[in-house]
Amino acid sequence: MTTDKPSSPAKKFGLPNIILVLGLSILLCGEAYFGYRLHTLSSEQEQIKEDYNMSNNITFGLFSVDQWRDRIATVVNGQVQDFTLTRAQKRALQSQVQAQLSGLVHKTIAEINKPQKTLMGKIKKFAVNKLVSEDEIQAQVPSFAKTIIDKVNSPASKRRLKDIATGKLTQLENQTYDSTSIAIAAVTKYLYSKYHVSDPIQFNNRINEQLAAIRTVTYDYAYAMLGCVAAAAGLWLLMRNLTHLHTTLFFMSLPFALILLLVGITTTMIEVDARIKTFNFVLMGQKVAFDNQVLFFQSKSLFKIVEVLLKQSKPDAIVVGTLIFVFVIVLPLLRMLARGIHITSPKSFAKNRVIRYLAFESGKWDMADVMVVGILMTYIGLNGILKSQLANLNIKNAFLTTITENNTSLQPGYLIFVGYVIFAFTLSYILKRISPEDAK
Amino acid sequence: MKKFNAVEKNAYVDSTLNANDSITTKMYVKYHVSSPDEFNSKLTTSLDRIRTITYNYCFAMLGCVIAVLLLWWFLRNRVELHATLFIMSLLFAFILLAVGLTASMIEVDARIKSLDFVLLGQHVVFKNQVLFFQSKSILDVVEVLVKQPAVDSILVGVLILVFSILFPIMKLTSTGIHLLSRRKIAENRVVKYFAFQSGKWSMADVIVIAILMVYIGLNGLLETQLANLNIKTDFLTIITTNNTALQPGYIVFISFVLYGLILSTILKFITPYDSH
Repeated sequence: MTTDKPSSPAKKFGLPNIILVLGLSILLCGEAYFGYRLHTLSSEQEQIKEDYNMSNNITFGLFSVDQWRDRIATVVNGQVQDFTLTRAQKRALQSQVQAQLSGLVHKTIAEINKPQKTLMGKIKKFAVNKLVSEDEIQAQVPSFAKTIIDKVNSPASKRRLKDIATGKLTQLENQTYDSTSIAIAAVTKYLYSKYHVSDPIQFNNRINEQLAAIRTVTYDYAYAMLGCVAAAAGLWLLMRNLTHLHTTLFFMSLPFALILLLVGITTTMIEVDARIKTFNFVLMGQKVAFDNQVLFFQSKSLFKIVEVLLKQSKPDAIVVGTLIFVFVIVLPLLRMLARGIHITSPKSFAKNRVIRYLAFESGKWDMADVMVVGILMTYIGLNGILKSQLANLNIKNAFLTTITENNTSLQPGYLIFVGYVIFAFTLSYILKRISPEDAK
Repeated sequence: MKKFNAVEKNAYVDSTLNANDSITTKMYVKYHVSSPDEFNSKLTTSLDRIRTITYNYCFAMLGCVIAVLLLWWFLRNRVELHATLFIMSLLFAFILLAVGLTASMIEVDARIKSLDFVLLGQHVVFKNQVLFFQSKSILDVVEVLVKQPAVDSILVGVLILVFSILFPIMKLTSTGIHLLSRRKIAENRVVKYFAFQSGKWSMADVIVIAILMVYIGLNGLLETQLANLNIKTDFLTIITTNNTALQPGYIVFISFVLYGLILSTILKFITPYDSH
């Protein structure tokens, strides 16, 4: 502890100070622990969600020709396998066969009855006319037709017909594909081994369980962190008249703010998640459905945002990334450091221009508060735009039903960051009050 | 077979064919080309040319501003010139603001990279199917948000408007007022707040666009994940937004914000009154 610098006679490092330092240290450890847990849980959650969204991505669902083929093939094959003639179909078929047969008979007889020129022809005509009467044959046509239909409808020939149809279908299926199957297989294998599951239902259950467990715990940790900070701020209220303790208290408050800032920038802030919840239509009386098709998923912390911007090849993105990094991350850290130095070090050093500028004047360059407003604005704007875009995709009519879902949400990181901004604001107000002669 | 051909002919004359045809002819006449390849290459070259020129103008603007700041450095000891120089600098800032607000800032481009499959033994490929393309300035973004049905989106639109137009104009005028008018007005709290502290709030817009850019524009999540698993994504139907880009308007607006902040720092040194 540097609080007991002999150069400042006002600061007597007595028993109350030690108790204060000890008490605050315990609080600080609590905050740091909660912050650490929050950070790990949040990145774990991000990881799980990324995996889930990878496996449910629309590329491997609605956009996959393989998936369409499989689903439609199931329906069509089912229709072929269940194929039986209904009574009405049978009757229709029978009358058709009957008409064909009677036409055939009529045509044959007419052919024979034509005026014949050769002797052979004349004999044939005579014989036929004597032995066969067309009316008799025509009278038997319906029973012939029935026999034929019954024969066709017998299990053996039905099986043969089905085999032919299925074979043809399979051949067509084999000729229709894209390259998702390899990717799907690889992704599924990777994810199943990662989560120790063996089928999609188990996988989804496992993920939902883990996410539900993490969500409650994350928020608990976030509130616990903020609770610790609130306790520290409460101490200020209690000790506002004990001037000799202020330096210690202020110095100890800075690490609280530091931890808040660090956790705030490394924990997920906004999560954008747009998906088609169900897409189903009726094909040949059977429902074909695609569920949970993820169109779009992003989940990022402030630090990741900066990182992504800096990794771009375009100079303007790098400039923006640098600006955000400097104004939102570096400058707040420097200001905190400067305040710590200002309050603890000897007068001459504390009056150093750079330190004084950072501690008191640099507020207009410190954009953590602007960031809070900016993130909130982005969240609401993004949410609104996504909602209206997704609403255009909602279709409900007799053939097709699609329901879209927008799960965009603010994450605990934002809460912590807001906590930091409020706390930092309070600290700078306090600093101005406890060192009034330096502030000008 | 004949019947099939007839069906094909019939089925083909749906509405897209007509629409497609008329659009294509119109575009071809407009750009004096005759084939899709020629059309694409012509567009690419003219876009490239425009982009270079735009950036040149943009950098020329920034050059002017930097020249002004250098002038401040040279004239830092000529106190009698400071007021004039400052008012002139404010005019520079106004121009930057006007250009920054109306020039396009962000270009969102969502497309399906490729749609590639084998249908009944035949290869079917569609490339670069554009789903969504928008090029927006800050004022356009405000318009989009305000036109949403939800109240909260409208609120955000109004907030962006406040931070991008109201605050900067108030700020620039207050700095002018602070410098030129009598002590009583110059030390007014509102004037002082806008002159010295309000500048950073314009940064909110910069941040909003930056985060939007990261969230919408760099949606390479699936691609990176698949790359980690060593799966080639060339033939997968993936929605990408990789062509989303920041536009010169954004750079101009950032320069305006930074320039404004620097101006208020300068004002703090040259003001005859108390700046706190």
